[in-house]
Amino acid sequence: MVQLESIILYCLMQLNNERTIYSIYHLLKGKKSSQTIQDAHLFNLKKYFGIYDFLSRENFDQIIQMLQDQKLIQSCGLQQFRSTSEGELFLIKNPIPIDLNGWEFHQVTARFWARLSLLIQVASNLEYKETNYIPIQKDKDIHLWLKTVLKEMNVSKKDMGGKLYDELIACFAENSELDPSVLVYRLTGFNQIGLTSLQAAQKLKMDIFDYHLHFINILHFMIRKLGQEPELFPLLAHLHRALMQQNDLTQSSQKTWQLLTLGHSLETIAQIRQLKLSTIEDHLVEITLNFKDFSINEYVEPILQKEILHVSKLIASKQLKLIKDQVKQASYFQIRLVLAKYGG
Amino acid sequence: MELEDLLNKYFGYTAFKTGQKEVISALLNGENTLAMLPTGTGKSLCYQLPGYIFKGHILIISPLLSLMQDQVDQMKRFGEKRVVALNSFLTHIEKEQVLNVLNQYKFIFISPEMLQVPYIIKKLQSLSISLFVIDEAHCISQWGYDFRPDYSKLGEIRKSLCNPLTLALTATATVNVRQDIIQSLGLSKVTKVESTIDRPNIGFYVEEIADYRDKERRVLELVDRLPKPGIVYFSSKKAAEQMAELLSYQQNYRSSVYHGGLEQDSRILIQQQFIHNQLDVICATSAFGMGVNKENIRFVIHFHMPMQIESYLQEIGRAGRDGNPSIAILLYSPGDELLPIQLAEAELPSDQQLDWLFNRTDFAIRTNNRGFKLTNTLKELGGFSDVQWRIVEDLLNRPIQDTSSLQQIKEMLQDFTKKRLKAKKNNIFRMKQWIDTKFCRRQFILEYFNDRLITEVNPCCDRCGLDIRNYHSAEDRPQVELLEVTWMDYLRKLLTNSELSK
Ligand SMILES: [Zn+2]
Repeated sequence: MVQLESIILYCLMQLNNERTIYSIYHLLKGKKSSQTIQDAHLFNLKKYFGIYDFLSRENFDQIIQMLQDQKLIQSCGLQQFRSTSEGELFLIKNPIPIDLNGWEFHQVTARFWARLSLLIQVASNLEYKETNYIPIQKDKDIHLWLKTVLKEMNVSKKDMGGKLYDELIACFAENSELDPSVLVYRLTGFNQIGLTSLQAAQKLKMDIFDYHLHFINILHFMIRKLGQEPELFPLLAHLHRALMQQNDLTQSSQKTWQLLTLGHSLETIAQIRQLKLSTIEDHLVEITLNFKDFSINEYVEPILQKEILHVSKLIASKQLKLIKDQVKQASYFQIRLVLAKYGG
Repeated sequence: MELEDLLNKYFGYTAFKTGQKEVISALLNGENTLAMLPTGTGKSLCYQLPGYIFKGHILIISPLLSLMQDQVDQMKRFGEKRVVALNSFLTHIEKEQVLNVLNQYKFIFISPEMLQVPYIIKKLQSLSISLFVIDEAHCISQWGYDFRPDYSKLGEIRKSLCNPLTLALTATATVNVRQDIIQSLGLSKVTKVESTIDRPNIGFYVEEIADYRDKERRVLELVDRLPKPGIVYFSSKKAAEQMAELLSYQQNYRSSVYHGGLEQDSRILIQQQFIHNQLDVICATSAFGMGVNKENIRFVIHFHMPMQIESYLQEIGRAGRDGNPSIAILLYSPGDELLPIQLAEAELPSDQQLDWLFNRTDFAIRTNNRGFKLTNTLKELGGFSDVQWRIVEDLLNRPIQDTSSLQQIKEMLQDFTKKRLKAKKNNIFRMKQWIDTKFCRRQFILEYFNDRLITEVNPCCDRCGLDIRNYHSAEDRPQVELLEVTWMDYLRKLLTNSELSK
């Protein structure tokens, strides 16, 4: 867990005793609360925002305990720690991969990987002229995306595999610090099924946490590279197209989103923008619709969310009034948010 | 055209497998049909082929979402595009889109819970349905091992669709369960096609082992000696994980664990790795195997005893689909039957839970004389698992007589769970009897399903003198070649076909 330990140490140093240890946990999980978002900005930790979405509280506590046992950190108050000089040394010896960019990419990393893995599987089977195989990606949006992209790619079916290979090699070559095996053994193609993340970690003799970090790191590197220099990678650049979804928002909602990411409350945003609170609430519904990962827990208690969903299912209706009749404690805004989030 | 010609035209096969032709002929004669065919004999062909003859739609009810998706994918890969799955995987918008053009789909797969939505029933009523298919029909029977409350309403639904021609499919159903299926669906005249469930190329072998540790050792030994690939089934995720690790680290086998707790991505990859011979051994829970069409599985080992003979038969039925000799081994330690009993109890709401629920004031309010307020809060506070809660919901959402008192309703629920538990315990008892039997194990299973042994099988089972050593691999274990493929070679091989001259 060397890499994850390094990141936690680095975050601790940046936070400078001003936050509890759990603010790091929330940061790594990418919690969309104004506090966490603000922390990421204030303490310059945006790179690590949301890069460990699968980290459990239990795992995190274990790692903190291990850091303590190794005397890399020491307690300095309730749920507060500071890095020791050994900790600083440890960080120098175990530098963090440099391409991580959680703030910009955490919402699109999974989508980018899904696109890449399906593209390679399809290209590989085309190369070997095989049509009967099971796609490893089930997400229909990704299939739809690939369908469109295949039409637009200016390449014959018989050249596609070779060209993709050349582009991937060229892309990896741009960064000598990367170890492409982290990514490549995960890929599936003709008669060759890729490894799961756990299997890849075992093969490369890493623990799953460090493996994950390197995997994310290489994906973030690719996303940046393909965005910056699409002309160098005519085929791969398609992976980047419309990857960032921000543009799906209306302009006004986008402004609200920006203010939200700065940690402002809805009321403050309404004041700043001199708009009615209900308008800001409309924006929030729109944001919820557009960002799959946007958490609404801050606006609707999870228990209430469940209740609203349950009632909506039970009466087989998405009519706000009908739901409201059954869940009196919820506001219309909350019901709309829940329906937006879970597709009703 | 002869049926064989159609078979060749649409599927590229030259001959039917056991039972298929009888089922299809009965359906073409307009007879409602109950088909009991062994696993791996291509049940889906029984409705797909008539689909190319009938004018109307084929409606297929299937209880398992993943299985449904597999079937749809498979039909698509074989070139049938007019197929769709209506289930909770669809987003709201997708559902709307599909429903709008529903009449363009020839084959409509649907999950039972979707059939509870009045709007969808209305949609279906506007179609002409030529064939109503119930897959895994044993789920209808309350006394079957895999009762699904949703399934008990299929009779009503069938009626509301004007009693279309019906095909009930199952791999495993005792006589009682078969009777239940017919009654519950309201089928008056039924043609039964019951091909033998015997799989003569699979040998049975039960071994009593002192304890858990010894079992682990024995599995390692067996995996060493038996030809691979194979599956080891467990009742617990944890035990499966441990064994997979032992096999990979200690023994250097290509082994992986598979259970419902893994992410979907990983599940797909591991299943595919197994199918593509990249794994020697899968350590799995019963979540593994549905939709896995792999011909050359040589052994199925049960580390724990299954909860009933039906699922045991289904799980070992994954071995030897290619017809070559294969072995089903069950390892038993004294007291093993306690685990399935615990699992069975945990699947049903307890008396204490029901008492608690019926004492809640926020539950007892009955609106419009029927229906209870069943909130998730109640579920969580009462500590109900998903399975338990589904049973409560389903029983309380049935029409209840206005006059029944709370007490009567509670007794109805408790009575139901008592009967279910009894049925489950009885199933476990029969499984245990099979383990203990001094006579032929094959005979026992066949009698359980009222089936008869047609030709004598040899080797048959440990009771008939089967010698496990005859199943040992002839060759020594091939040296594991540690030829590492570099990532660059791996990528090159994926994307460039060197055998093609360009
Ligand atoms: Zn026998």
